[in-house]
Amino acid sequence: MTDPHASSSRAADVRPLVLSARDVRREYPVAGVPVQAVRGLSLDVREGEWVAIVGPSGCGKSTLLNLLGAIDRPSAGRIEIRGEDVARLGDAAATRFRLTGVGFVFQRFYLMPTLTAAENVELPMSEAKVPRAAREARARELLAYVGLGQRADHRPFQLSGGEQQRVAIARALANRPALLLADEPTGELDARTGTEMIALLDRLNRDGTTIVTVTHDEELASAARRVVHMRDGAIVDDVVKRPLEDLAR
Amino acid sequence: MMLRLAFATLVRRRARTALTVAGVTVAAAMLLDMVMLGSGMRESFRGFIEQQGFQLRITPRGTMPFDSETTVGGAAALAERIAADPDVVRVAPLLGTRIFTRRAADDSVTAGFLLGLRPEVQGDYVLAEGREIAADDEMVVNGAWLAATGHALGDTVEVAQGWEPQMRRLRGARTVRIVGRGRFVMLAGGERAAALRIGTVQAMGGDALRDRASVMLVATREGAAIEAVRRRLEASDPRISALSTAAALKFVDERLSYFRQLAFILASVSLAVGFLLVTTLVTVSVNERLGEIAVMRAIGVARWRIVAQVMAEGVALSLVGAVLGVGLGLVTARWLNGILAAFPGLPAAFDFFLFEPSAAFRSLGLLVLCGIAAGAWPAWRAATLPIAQTLREEAVA
Amino acid sequence: MSGACPERVRPAYRSCIVALPPRVPLLVASLVLAGPLAAQAAVAPERTIAIDERLAATAGLSVGDRVVLGPVAGAPGDTVRIVAITRRGADPSEVARSEFKVRLHLEHLQSLAGSGDRVGRFAVQSSPASSPAAVSAAINAAAFGFRAYPAAEVAVETSATFRVVNRFHRAIGIITIVASAIFLLCITLLKVDERRRDMGALRLLGISRASVVRAVVLESSLVALVGSVMGAGIGWVASWLVNWHYQGVYATPLRFAIVTPGIVAFAVALSLALGVVSGWFAAQRLVRRAPLELVGR
Repeated sequence: MTDPHASSSRAADVRPLVLSARDVRREYPVAGVPVQAVRGLSLDVREGEWVAIVGPSGCGKSTLLNLLGAIDRPSAGRIEIRGEDVARLGDAAATRFRLTGVGFVFQRFYLMPTLTAAENVELPMSEAKVPRAAREARARELLAYVGLGQRADHRPFQLSGGEQQRVAIARALANRPALLLADEPTGELDARTGTEMIALLDRLNRDGTTIVTVTHDEELASAARRVVHMRDGAIVDDVVKRPLEDLAR
Repeated sequence: MMLRLAFATLVRRRARTALTVAGVTVAAAMLLDMVMLGSGMRESFRGFIEQQGFQLRITPRGTMPFDSETTVGGAAALAERIAADPDVVRVAPLLGTRIFTRRAADDSVTAGFLLGLRPEVQGDYVLAEGREIAADDEMVVNGAWLAATGHALGDTVEVAQGWEPQMRRLRGARTVRIVGRGRFVMLAGGERAAALRIGTVQAMGGDALRDRASVMLVATREGAAIEAVRRRLEASDPRISALSTAAALKFVDERLSYFRQLAFILASVSLAVGFLLVTTLVTVSVNERLGEIAVMRAIGVARWRIVAQVMAEGVALSLVGAVLGVGLGLVTARWLNGILAAFPGLPAAFDFFLFEPSAAFRSLGLLVLCGIAAGAWPAWRAATLPIAQTLREEAVA
Repeated sequence: MSGACPERVRPAYRSCIVALPPRVPLLVASLVLAGPLAAQAAVAPERTIAIDERLAATAGLSVGDRVVLGPVAGAPGDTVRIVAITRRGADPSEVARSEFKVRLHLEHLQSLAGSGDRVGRFAVQSSPASSPAAVSAAINAAAFGFRAYPAAEVAVETSATFRVVNRFHRAIGIITIVASAIFLLCITLLKVDERRRDMGALRLLGISRASVVRAVVLESSLVALVGSVMGAGIGWVASWLVNWHYQGVYATPLRFAIVTPGIVAFAVALSLALGVVSGWFAAQRLVRRAPLELVGR
């Protein structure tokens, strides 16, 4: 097993830490018996990294992602994102963090069916009180970036699964978060669309977005720069496949 | 954007939204009608009384105006005594009895209501045509009397205060000229009526009606303490009762208390129905969108925004229903008023359902408040969903 | 008739005017009340009267009390003894009238009022073998200056107020039924729609459209049936409360609300029909859509 703290290359050490999780635990009572979904896990992610968390079903990877995204609260431990301890945030602060601190992409897209693609992307910016003109411009910019510039006015039911997931990614990036968290982003997509999605994530990462994905998809895992293996709620391996300086190419 | 989402959610399910709005509309219409009914009778009656311009009514002891054929004697002296009160500016004695007219065409006799009054101070009819009574042998009648007798304005006619059916003989007859046609404000629609000077009617009635009056209308000076005047007048003569506007309204309230109670019960039921409809729709709508709502929370939409969006749906349904309900309520009020207008003896211009904008706004505002309350529980439920668990459950579902 | 007698009279004198209805225009009686021990010297031999329970309660009178009866307030009259207190009949036309009733012998009233041998009307009891209509026709044929009316006709005339109230109630009932129908349709639609995934899954398993419709209609009918039975029960309790309340308010044995088997049957049948119709409509909306669409694919 590789020491998770020694996973980054010497050259990447100069990049600031985006995420630092220390001894994170999460317990759930199941029929009165506490079940440990995450057991004393520690993880660092630096700016510009693309980390894929892999492991068998039920190993706690989605739970970990929810903890990192302040969707759930750990039973113990510390999670810092850009220096802010998100593990202890109250509801309002956690909500604010989710709005501007991280971007979340879900397996099932979860776009608002009554809004257009552009409006879905605008939704978090509207909540962050971005002026209308600015958010409309950014929404179109993001949609163009993900290859859907011509579909801005289409509703989700008019888009394919892959297109919906692209919109979801654009939405996640709307408020320029420090970290993009993606839970099985290719889980609902066919192989070809999945490959396109992976290429998009790769481009995002090369353009500087820090990404943490949870996945069963081997192709996605191999595209990531670093792969963290989990089992039974703990990290069992942490492999850097491509150093950070390789991103410059 | 939240309002846009709320609106879009309602529009997404058109049929159910339309049905809910229809239900709220009917509830709002019923609520408006019951509010109109609850206050309409009283305010309509108040309008009548105040229209006449008199604050007190003097009647034979223990009776209501024209509730029976009882009269009080010594009317002239009584009127003088009342007029001498420093707070009294005008006294209008009235004598109600029967009028009989023989139709020349078929020798049939038409009966009606005859009101003896002082034309210069009267407030019992509004002239629609012709002129006011200026002499002892001049008469004002209403349209129903003209239609029944076949006479017209300007005609000279023989009228009588009594009719002996066995002998087919008019008693207390008098030849008079019809100088005006008026609308008798206190009479039921279709009731035939005529007015003559009170002295003429008293003379026609012979000994039975000499110097008698059924009611005296009293106008007080501005600023006078009406209750004090009332007590004073009532105490001055054991044969009379003095009735203020407030007492008359109280009497009407008691007589028509059934309708007020019915109005209250039906208004409450309407509010409850409106509330149930809106809360059911909003609850179902939230239940269908748990995943969406959890995601909104996950991407950083604040709790209060979720609550606002969900409650906006409830408010929108109630508001649209309330606005449509006003129109429907006015239509049904007309229909119901038409039914109740057939009450025997009811003044023709009396309204059971009177539209008062302030009352309407209050009641419909109450309905919208109900809409707000109806959305509150499902809204709170939506906003306090455990995000991770909900996302998991929705993914499994 | 109208009358308003002020507070309890003992021991002071009070006077109140009681006028009989316009049907008896020639007879006007006035009741002057005195304390029970202040029996005045009577001009005529002591007579007896009956008063109604409202007057008895208002003026504090009871059987055995002596009062002075006269045509005009303040004028001398007859000292009479109260021998009976009568209860109001279940007459709709008297319900809202706040008048007092005094019963005395006809000749006594005629002499008091100075009206001579006059009456306002006769009540005629015909033999069981004859019909009232035939008897009144025969009387009218021979009558001179008066008319005979069968009692049923008079009852209809005097019930005009309540006919209006009945029509009003019917109108309110129609509005309530329309509102309830919309409400029921709306709720059924919502609830059925909420379970569209289940319905879609059933269709995917091979359950036919007709079976799904039958299931939904059966469910909504059962809900309507149970609801209507509960509603009938609530209605019965409510009618009991209404009668208890208004009988107290108007001091009358009249029953204001009656729940009959026919009314219950009508309510249940109508609810059932509405349940079937609303269930059918809601089901049709579902089975029209493809099963995959229903399960959200």
